[in-house]
Amino acid sequence: MPRVDVRGEICPRPALIVRQALSDLDPGETLVVRGDYPPAEENLRRMCTTHGIDVTTAETAGESDEFELELQVTEMASLSEA
Amino acid sequence: MGTDTEIDRDDETACLTEYTELHGCSCKVGQSDLDSLLADAGLTGDSDALLFGIGEDAAARKLTDDLALVSTVDFFTPIVDDPYDFGRIAACNAASDAFATGAVENVACLVVLGLPRELTDSASPILAGMADALDAMDGVIAGGHTIMSPWPFAGGAISATARPDALLTSQGASPGDRLYLTKPLGTQSAMGATRVTDEQFVGTVREAADRPLGRIASEAVGWMTTPNRDAALACREYATAATDITGFGLAGQSRVVAARSDVGIELTHLPVIAGTPALSTLFGYGLTDGESAETSGGLFVSVPPAATDVVESAFDDAGVFYRAIGRVTAGRGVTLDDPTIEEVRR
Repeated sequence: MPRVDVRGEICPRPALIVRQALSDLDPGETLVVRGDYPPAEENLRRMCTTHGIDVTTAETAGESDEFELELQVTEMASLSEA
Repeated sequence: MGTDTEIDRDDETACLTEYTELHGCSCKVGQSDLDSLLADAGLTGDSDALLFGIGEDAAARKLTDDLALVSTVDFFTPIVDDPYDFGRIAACNAASDAFATGAVENVACLVVLGLPRELTDSASPILAGMADALDAMDGVIAGGHTIMSPWPFAGGAISATARPDALLTSQGASPGDRLYLTKPLGTQSAMGATRVTDEQFVGTVREAADRPLGRIASEAVGWMTTPNRDAALACREYATAATDITGFGLAGQSRVVAARSDVGIELTHLPVIAGTPALSTLFGYGLTDGESAETSGGLFVSVPPAATDVVESAFDDAGVFYRAIGRVTAGRGVTLDDPTIEEVRR
């Protein structure tokens, strides 16, 4: 499963990095994203939902600000139209 | 007020935004965290010594039957790289909390400034920007306090006066009132785009916007450096409630007014800086849901139906931007159901 680490990245870069990684995937594939910037998690969720990407929260450990999301590309995904 | 602010400075200008992870009103502590903090500290009740205080944009103390002193403090991290513009924005943003209460006279600012050692040269232009902004608001810089800080920040403690009966809070909105906003939204997206400078993504951001990014950013700076004083003066006699739009965003501030006025708020029309909706979609900022953080945003004003004509005339006469953005209902909470998005060019 492909992974992207956006820890240390500041908005809006996490959304841009994740969007680029998602654009390489086919419907049904999942990208795992790890981050540590609190505003980025909400922005990533919003960006994905807007573009037809399913978001689920993966189990996280370590520092409380860290998060891990599983982003699944659906048939409805429309990243190229952003 | 400059409308032709240069965003792309030469390389000898310190890049203030590179010294902080959160920018402008985005650095504000979240609404629920703030509520918890106040509750933990037992700071939830009204004080008998004040006309109003905690929970409002500013505090007000009645000095005489004809005079109230309004005080507030607001400071934040840089949202622009240019120190002079940062000073102007910080001053407008700090004073806005007083203007939101209708207090526009005798404006004074005590500067709150923190800079890392590498940016001490920026102190002078930041202060010059604040002084010029205060001057444009018929205010003065009365003093201040400066510290060394790993993250840069600037702002001020503002005092201003008004007649006690002229003061506005977030608590007076009534069902049937019309809602006005006096600046377009979108500063977070406009300025976020300027921070994407690496070759990997700059093309993506440029393609997403249908306008030059520098133009979008300069218009955002123009709005952020527009004081809310004229807007407050134009509407305070007729408004039932007011606040200003900051890091909580339009939806967040609407939730505050809805809760404190015990009403519902229906948002139907969002004016935004042209080009920012596409950037917001790219960045996941939630602009068209009213959820994006705003820096030095406009006033959000509730006006009874019988007074909308006179308020709109007053805004027009004062040259104040405004849009009717929704209404107050007898319900609860905030609804924003497929609002019209109006892209505003300055």
